[in-house]
Amino acid sequence: MVTRSLTAEVSVGSILPPLTVRFTRADLVRYAGASTDFNPIHYSERFAAAVGLPGVIAHGMLTMATALRVVTDWVGDPTQVRSYFVRFTKPVVVPDDDHGVAVMFSGTVTALDGTVATISLDAVCGDQKVLGAARAEVELQPAPAPTGAGTDGRVG
Amino acid sequence: MAISEQHAGRTYPPTAPYEVSAAKISEFATAIGDDNRAYTGAEAIAPPTFVAVISSAAWQAMFDDPELELALRRIVHGDQRFTYVRPLRVGDRVTAALTIDKVRPRGSADIISSSVEVVDERGEVVCVASSTFFHSRESST
Repeated sequence: MVTRSLTAEVSVGSILPPLTVRFTRADLVRYAGASTDFNPIHYSERFAAAVGLPGVIAHGMLTMATALRVVTDWVGDPTQVRSYFVRFTKPVVVPDDDHGVAVMFSGTVTALDGTVATISLDAVCGDQKVLGAARAEVELQPAPAPTGAGTDGRVG
Repeated sequence: MAISEQHAGRTYPPTAPYEVSAAKISEFATAIGDDNRAYTGAEAIAPPTFVAVISSAAWQAMFDDPELELALRRIVHGDQRFTYVRPLRVGDRVTAALTIDKVRPRGSADIISSSVEVVDERGEVVCVASSTFFHSRESST
């Protein structure tokens, strides 16, 4: 699998291609089954209201997983992810309709240490940031050796 | 006795071995809408946050600990960190063991820091999943 190389195009401040994803109730049911997280706040309006939530909310881990797609789509090989952190700052309320709710994910390179890039991530729903201090560290391929005439200084 | 700072350091036995399957990886990748080719086929790896599937069984051991008097409806997941040594692959058999690292009271809640070590059959760490949970104390209403 191809891994992004640490070329001159990658620097602190580089912006990764953003991603907008809509979450519907069907997505929450699917994630509940796949993850085995069956907390009823993710499917029952009645239960969500009883614990003081504004409605059925997406699994924080689903938002976290989706945000990382910005990183893995960009880096190519997901095995290059070294660490990943998010703070769950606001719930993503998912209405009971066919359209769901849109969350916009974006990422920026905020540090480079050798071949390890730190990507800071944002996830915005409406006008609220739903993840805080989100960041992933990924190992990039070393920059490819320069090619072409005159660049090979080796003897013999 | 409800959860308190004294529970820092408490550990739970490892979960029963979990075998990572291609079918479960595929199901999880579909659920997060991720079509990365690394998650398909007999040689598939699991998406990085798949570790949550395994660590949730270890969280359950803490949530179910009668001494801590935790209630799921009063728990909020505050933050999550994954530190990877290597990816999970089809055929891996792993266990997960939780440690309560720290408990701090704040207002009407307790902030629980925990870490789950996911270990393979050779005893080598695959990933550490560190979580902060906020647990509200029972209100008088």
